[in-house]
Amino acid sequence: MRIAIPKGRLQDHSLRVFAAAGFNVPTAGDLKTRRLVFHSQLATGNSQLEWIFVKDCDVPVYVEHGAADAGIAGLDQILEHECTAYQPVEFDFGRCRMMLIAAPGAPPLTKIATKYPRIARQYLDSRGLRADIVPLGGSVELAAVLELTSHVIDLVESGETVRVHKLVMQDLVAEISPRLIVGKTVYRTRPREIRELIARVEEANYGIENTPGRR
Amino acid sequence: MAKLTYPTGVRPLLIEETARRRRIEARCIDVLERGGFAEVTLPIIDYVEPYAPLNNPDDRRDTSRQSYRFIDREGDLVAIRSDFTPMLARALAPSLSEEQLPLRLFYRGDVIRCEASRLGANRELFQIGAELVGDGGVDADIAMLRLASDLVRAFNGKPTIVYNDVSIAAALGGAAREALVTKRAGADAPPIVRNLIAGNATIEDVAPFAPKAAARLDALRRALDPDEFVLHLDDFEEGAGYYTGLRFRVYGKSLLAQGGRYDNLYARFGTAAPAIGFTFTIEELG
Repeated sequence: MRIAIPKGRLQDHSLRVFAAAGFNVPTAGDLKTRRLVFHSQLATGNSQLEWIFVKDCDVPVYVEHGAADAGIAGLDQILEHECTAYQPVEFDFGRCRMMLIAAPGAPPLTKIATKYPRIARQYLDSRGLRADIVPLGGSVELAAVLELTSHVIDLVESGETVRVHKLVMQDLVAEISPRLIVGKTVYRTRPREIRELIARVEEANYGIENTPGRR
Repeated sequence: MAKLTYPTGVRPLLIEETARRRRIEARCIDVLERGGFAEVTLPIIDYVEPYAPLNNPDDRRDTSRQSYRFIDREGDLVAIRSDFTPMLARALAPSLSEEQLPLRLFYRGDVIRCEASRLGANRELFQIGAELVGDGGVDADIAMLRLASDLVRAFNGKPTIVYNDVSIAAALGGAAREALVTKRAGADAPPIVRNLIAGNATIEDVAPFAPKAAARLDALRRALDPDEFVLHLDDFEEGAGYYTGLRFRVYGKSLLAQGGRYDNLYARFGTAAPAIGFTFTIEELG
């Protein structure tokens, strides 16, 4: 079984969930190396596990292709890649909102900078709006701050960046949560193994969600 | 300087690859002809209009949304072939008569899709498909499933054929269907949905709300080797397309073929006739 872990903001939470589910996950020491692939065994069995660490936007690609059997991906990346993998578990950590945000002074909607051109197109279609989409790789808010575009579509966690730059949140595009995604081929051809993995992760997620002191 | 590359998802096959494809084709045709199937040839382009009632613009994987379309010189909207099955129904249905049935047919050729079904997959796929038209019985289902298995075995493969019936999801409500598609059942999901997703539901559990599908699947389960033909009661896709009953996928090392039963498709083109078929993508075989 090969599991894709997203590097970046979801990495630590993802490993914590798998550890709570009884998997031997790579240690902090392992992760300090430049290796991207780690092997371990299920803590309670003999199944071999392989962990791969990839950019968050690539997790749906690996799972969709069958290069990984399962992984953790944000709904933003799942939607942007039109990933058809199953999404059996929705996690409580790392939740945020994808928002339409206007430049200071809230100018009319003419251009949208975003890392999510496909989602932006679907959003515009669903609202009957027309605007040009400018795909960017990162620091998307800067496009609105510098008036490269009238708007941006991006993820908002605390809203601090938006406030600091006097940007204006205008509309909710989507509620975003990380999900366990599972490839269709492995689900159909190795149902017992994959269902055990799903059940363990679901149980661990429920346990973490209901830990005293958490919301 | 002229471009060296080809449009995304297409490429030429040179001597060795073409020879390989021809070998695979020949072996498939041998199996199909021994099974009593006769070949038909379908056009590479067709008008869009006759297929309009089949289209579901809300389903992003609707094959009509995957086809290349253009206006021909007469001003008609035409599409390049992206799915053989509706084309065969349109070709046969207007002149189909009882005496001809059942018909066992196969076809081969390219389908071209502007959006690949898997990320990065080829846009031009060479397919061989077989259809049994005019037999709605469970024996026809068994025969076609076994024929699909024979095709994989002709290449020394060991097939796993996963099957289910799309009318089970159709009998459940929208929220339940959504849960089955994503494989995520909320705490408020009905017990049957949770059991289906957990893999604990049985045909008997499905029978109260989908009796016909349950009876049909039970007959299949009794007739087929469970090591090779695996019933997955929770196996549903977003949008069933034209499928009305049995749906199956054939796996070797990867997904080799898919198919199912579409008993309402021919009626839309003039003559009602039950039909079942499957399509193999040649590159995945051999």
